[in-house]
Amino acid sequence: MMQQVLSSMNSLVGALFLLSAVVMMTTRQTQNVLRLFVVQSVLLAASAFILIWVRHSAELIVVVLITITFKTVIIPLVLNRSLGREVRRRRELEFVVNTPVSLLIALGITALSYFFVEPLVGTSGTAVSENLAMGLDVLLIGVYTLTVRREAMPQILALMMIDNGAFYTGIAITRASALIELAAGLEGIMVIVVVVLLTRALVQQVGTTETGALTTLKEGESK
Amino acid sequence: MTVIAIPLIPLIASLVAVLSRRLAVTRTVTTAAGLLTLILSVWVASVVNEKGTMLVFPNWIAVDGLSSLILVLQGFLSLTAALFSWGYMKRVTRSRPRERWYYVNLNLFIASLFMVPIFLQPALTWVAVELTTILSVFLVSFENTPQALEAAWKYTVITIMGATVAVFGIFLLIWGVTQQHVDVDTWATVASASPHMSVSLLKLAFVFIFIGFGTKVGIVPMHTWLPDAHSQAPSAVCALLSGIEVSTILYVIMRLWPAFLVIPGGFAERWALIFGLISVATSAFLMIQVKDYKRLFAFSTVEQMGILLVALGLGAGSNYALLCQLMTHALTKSLTFYSAGAVLLVTSTLNIANVRGLIRISPIAGTSLLFSGLAIGGAPPFALFLSELSIFKASLTASRIFVLVLLLAFLTLAFIAILRHLNHMVFGKPTHARVKLPRTVTASLILSWIPVLVLGVYFPGSIHHWLTLATVALRR
Repeated sequence: MMQQVLSSMNSLVGALFLLSAVVMMTTRQTQNVLRLFVVQSVLLAASAFILIWVRHSAELIVVVLITITFKTVIIPLVLNRSLGREVRRRRELEFVVNTPVSLLIALGITALSYFFVEPLVGTSGTAVSENLAMGLDVLLIGVYTLTVRREAMPQILALMMIDNGAFYTGIAITRASALIELAAGLEGIMVIVVVVLLTRALVQQVGTTETGALTTLKEGESK
Repeated sequence: MTVIAIPLIPLIASLVAVLSRRLAVTRTVTTAAGLLTLILSVWVASVVNEKGTMLVFPNWIAVDGLSSLILVLQGFLSLTAALFSWGYMKRVTRSRPRERWYYVNLNLFIASLFMVPIFLQPALTWVAVELTTILSVFLVSFENTPQALEAAWKYTVITIMGATVAVFGIFLLIWGVTQQHVDVDTWATVASASPHMSVSLLKLAFVFIFIGFGTKVGIVPMHTWLPDAHSQAPSAVCALLSGIEVSTILYVIMRLWPAFLVIPGGFAERWALIFGLISVATSAFLMIQVKDYKRLFAFSTVEQMGILLVALGLGAGSNYALLCQLMTHALTKSLTFYSAGAVLLVTSTLNIANVRGLIRISPIAGTSLLFSGLAIGGAPPFALFLSELSIFKASLTASRIFVLVLLLAFLTLAFIAILRHLNHMVFGKPTHARVKLPRTVTASLILSWIPVLVLGVYFPGSIHHWLTLATVALRR
């Protein structure tokens, strides 16, 4: 009975996790993309929390604590404090690919993820097979989002989405190692600090956070 | 403990750069750190050459033939880069705090590079790979120009995305190991568990690892960031990025290679051959039309990574040639970037069209640029010639005539492209007044030339034994 409830909760969290990725992909306002990233990270922590009982793995509490502390508190705080209100309030008026086409591509990515994962999960439990497919799906949607967004902050958050996708699968299929989880979490913060500093330098030197417009370096050009 | 000291030394040098008020101290300590890490790396390599491996912490840290090869190359390049930076940064950087900031970042980046080959666990190595990007971003953006910032942005976003994609593949492999009820995830356990993993799992893991780490190696079509980043950074950093960073990341793919060899039908080898040839072909054509000489050498890095992949795809028969090429490329490519940096010092332009008569503007920079261009193009009697010849021989032995013909055609094209551009720059009426190079820049050029010349005509038996030992890591 307990296992059934946990399995249903795991499926629900997985569905919401995927939904958050799709909404992040199509949201125009930068501040809202950040809010969605926080929601997605909470769902990642919730998944780890459920897996503590599903996989009888108490070590996953480390993942819960690291995800909550780093991804839902520190990273949003760093982004909010260091990037000005102007950057956070920006809207991407024009997407490289329009929303309906992006939604269709996301659907295709989801089908592809299940197609790739299906032969791998023969004897594994439901939680493993579901989380493996969901993680891969969110990772690939993150890669797609990174490719089509033109603003610095949504690109940073797409990077974090890829990270969330990889670790959603990682915590479901591998043993949790506190040291590696901590190192990966700290690295996530370092990545954010580095890209925030770069974004600020871009604002000062180039006068824009529209990274899609950075096309001065190409063949035939030189200093 | 010597192995752990190697990444710690540049970390300490970085701390000195933060604390010291005198730049002379920072420069001296950075160069001394480079020399010390080289000495320690050579010592570790000699022990490995004798005993086969050097175990520090079982299942965590150890060095074998392949990792000692990477360590020694990193050590040599960190010394020459420190020496080159001494005179170069002194002349081009007007602000003392900015120069200090450069040395802090340079030492941190070198420390992160040293961490990659010493770990035994794929997940920990991935953490080190991520660190190499994070700690080199501000070196790429150091000039703080719009172009440098653009290059740094692309470098950060694309390579971190690649590394995160690769970690998914690593998770899959660890899952495969766990299914065999093995508790430790090291290179060895992944390789020994791989025959019992499902083919689908291995294929999916391979694709993610190959594309993910391949992005940071600069394999076409994921190479777009490389010519930008490797041409915008200060020249000593370009030498480190192009000379050893990309090879260090390729090392991670090579480490997992024995696990992927069990995929039936030569799946991994075919991917390496196809992407290798595409990289060589694309870069050869792009090298013809470049207008910026540092970009020319950056594309040459894409070409060389393609050659290394082709060698990897040719199978066990070319493993020795592959490692020989990796070594000679690291030594020669760093030399070409030091030469390019020397040219930039005396001409203040990166535009090929704006430089003529370099041999008279600065005989040292002109001669070094011309001959390093010939060396990286694979001309005799330089070191790269012998290793490329070994790869050609290996493709003949493996009966891959088509691969050999394509490789020869594209390499000839790349060679002509390099020579055409350098011929324009080196000869003709001088466009600039005669300028003297800083002494440390000249010293760095001389030091870099020694192995490129020596290994082209004389290959010591101990290095032959060392490389043979390193090939063990690539076999099942």
